[in-house]
Amino acid sequence: MSRPIRIIGQTATWLGLAALVAALAQGPAFSPVADGHGELRLSMAHLAERLVPCRPLTEEERLALPPTRRVTEICERGRSPTVIELRLDGELLVRETVTAAGWHNDGRAYLVTTFAVPAGEHRLRMSLRDTPRDEGFDMEKEFTLRLESGDAALLEVGDGDVRLKAPDRH
Amino acid sequence: MKSDAGGTRPGPAARTLARMEGLFSRAFGGENNPFHHLGALTIFFFYVALVTGIYLFIFYRTSLEGAWESVEYLTREQWYAGGIMRSLHRYASDAAVITLGIHLVRELVRGRMKGPRWFSWITGMPLVWIVIVFGISGYWMVWDQLAQYVAVSTAQLVDWLPIFTDPMSRNFISNEAVSSRLFTLIAFIHLVGLPIVLVLGIWFHLLRIRYPRINPPRKLMLGSMAGLLALSVVFPVFSHPPADLDRVPVSLDIDWFYLAIFPLQAVTSEGVVWALGTGGTILLAILPWLPPRKREAVAEVHLPDCTGCGFCAEDCPYGAIDMVARTDGRNFELEAKVNADLCVSCGICTGSCPSSSPFRQREPLTTGIELPQFPIDRLRREIDQERGRADNSILLLGCDHGPTVDALASDDIHTLSLPCVGMTPPASIDYAMRATGYAGVVIAGCEGCDCHHRLGERWTQERIERIRQPALRKRVPRERLLSVWLKVGQEKRLASQVEAFRNTLEESRKDDGDKNPQGADAREVVQ
Repeated sequence: MSRPIRIIGQTATWLGLAALVAALAQGPAFSPVADGHGELRLSMAHLAERLVPCRPLTEEERLALPPTRRVTEICERGRSPTVIELRLDGELLVRETVTAAGWHNDGRAYLVTTFAVPAGEHRLRMSLRDTPRDEGFDMEKEFTLRLESGDAALLEVGDGDVRLKAPDRH
Repeated sequence: MKSDAGGTRPGPAARTLARMEGLFSRAFGGENNPFHHLGALTIFFFYVALVTGIYLFIFYRTSLEGAWESVEYLTREQWYAGGIMRSLHRYASDAAVITLGIHLVRELVRGRMKGPRWFSWITGMPLVWIVIVFGISGYWMVWDQLAQYVAVSTAQLVDWLPIFTDPMSRNFISNEAVSSRLFTLIAFIHLVGLPIVLVLGIWFHLLRIRYPRINPPRKLMLGSMAGLLALSVVFPVFSHPPADLDRVPVSLDIDWFYLAIFPLQAVTSEGVVWALGTGGTILLAILPWLPPRKREAVAEVHLPDCTGCGFCAEDCPYGAIDMVARTDGRNFELEAKVNADLCVSCGICTGSCPSSSPFRQREPLTTGIELPQFPIDRLRREIDQERGRADNSILLLGCDHGPTVDALASDDIHTLSLPCVGMTPPASIDYAMRATGYAGVVIAGCEGCDCHHRLGERWTQERIERIRQPALRKRVPRERLLSVWLKVGQEKRLASQVEAFRNTLEESRKDDGDKNPQGADAREVVQ
């Protein structure tokens, strides 16, 4: 093969590499959320009730403990699973039973999840059960959610409080 | 397909690949064909990313507000240096994924992960993961909308695993949740932690390879740099708007080389991404043993012929030969010892053994180190097949992995396919011409820097050029010797070169008055 053709071949190779890199390094574009939608994030870090309530120690039990460790009550470690339900305009978004974290299920119940929500105004209802019962809820809250396309709202469920943080344009 | 030595010859996929690579050999020449230096090119792109990354870090601010602003300053205000450096950093990293991917597929297609090569194959698997994690961590540092998406998606991927009780995603749930410490952490991981892990990984990957090619030829370095530099100037990299966790990015210009897993995660689930990643890795990792096949016999040392010179240990491409203290009481300090776990049965050691001389009058002929399935005695017997009628003939020594020589066999061309042409002792060329009486010898092996066994073609050339021991004797007429370095599938080119060589020999014989090669039975005695 003659030298000019070899040089053309080599140039074409490196241009080909550059073209391949250029084609995929900055695109094609990807849309994480559909057009006309926003995102609702649910973040829960909630300490549920104990499965067995704490009870006061009797005087005999207290005296049996070392002097520096004489606490007034004793608590079993297990905590109730947390049931959380989220409805948007009456439609169920999520219903999840979250086990308390830790080897002994004595930590918080954690849940992070996201939902694509059409832009506009919505009624958001959150129901939560965190006691050792089989039916019903211990906490229910309702919010008005206003989202524009590309907005992200956060529903944060803490130990005792629930708050909705949405972009405020007013 | 089985070779003369019982080994496996390249299949249809390997032949197709070789045909395609042959086009690049025409443009670059065999020794500079980029496909022959994919591992070295990947390391070179890593160097480029490393050097450009150090420059970028000088200006980088590891804080929530400063991260995006400092990268933006580099990109916009310092476009002539920082901007180009940033683009080069990105594009070199992307090019590394391309060469890494082709390197992996190429070794797979050519079956170069089987046998003792499993170690390099297996240690290559973590490198793929490290490179991907390396790239992903780099995207966090810009802290633009793409970084936000990558960070959130990465956290979701990690949360799928039962590692953290407090989900990592909670750190990216709102702008208030992100702290400047994140950027110190991610800068440490990207600039210190992962480069060290990567270098260690490369070291392990090359541990069982002797004379590894760490750097590609200068021509390839310059060419690829020029291409990436031109791309950096023409299509510089820009950031997305700064990250805002109160918003969700609507459209992102994704780097598909590193970030393709996130769209996959979005359309499927975290579980699918992990299943594909780990499943794919496990599948690739067990390929060296699929399908199970009987291993070829490894080289054996024959102590009565071993002088402990160490040439075989020096030449073994996989470090499978150690020189150890003499055990047979002979007056030599060392002897060769084969590590069967490392030997790929290429026979290059036979070619490097000074005792591998067919001139020796011993029946059967033995040498210091040889393959049981293709001993030196067989090589001499094959060469001697044409004794008495070889004066117009050519001996064509081929390689199981280079161009197939069998089809060229004819009345005046005697062919022999070796496990590797590096197995050819230089004395056998001399013997074929002087003792057997061949008019000429052709050595047809794998193309430059593409020997299936890594170094066979190089050592053979160096022995012929007398810059490596054992060297081809000066008395061997070089005009009667042709060495051809081609790929499998390039048999037509080989045929035409052999034909031209035959014509040249014919003409020179006519010029010399058709005289016979000297001493058809003159066997040299080597003690």
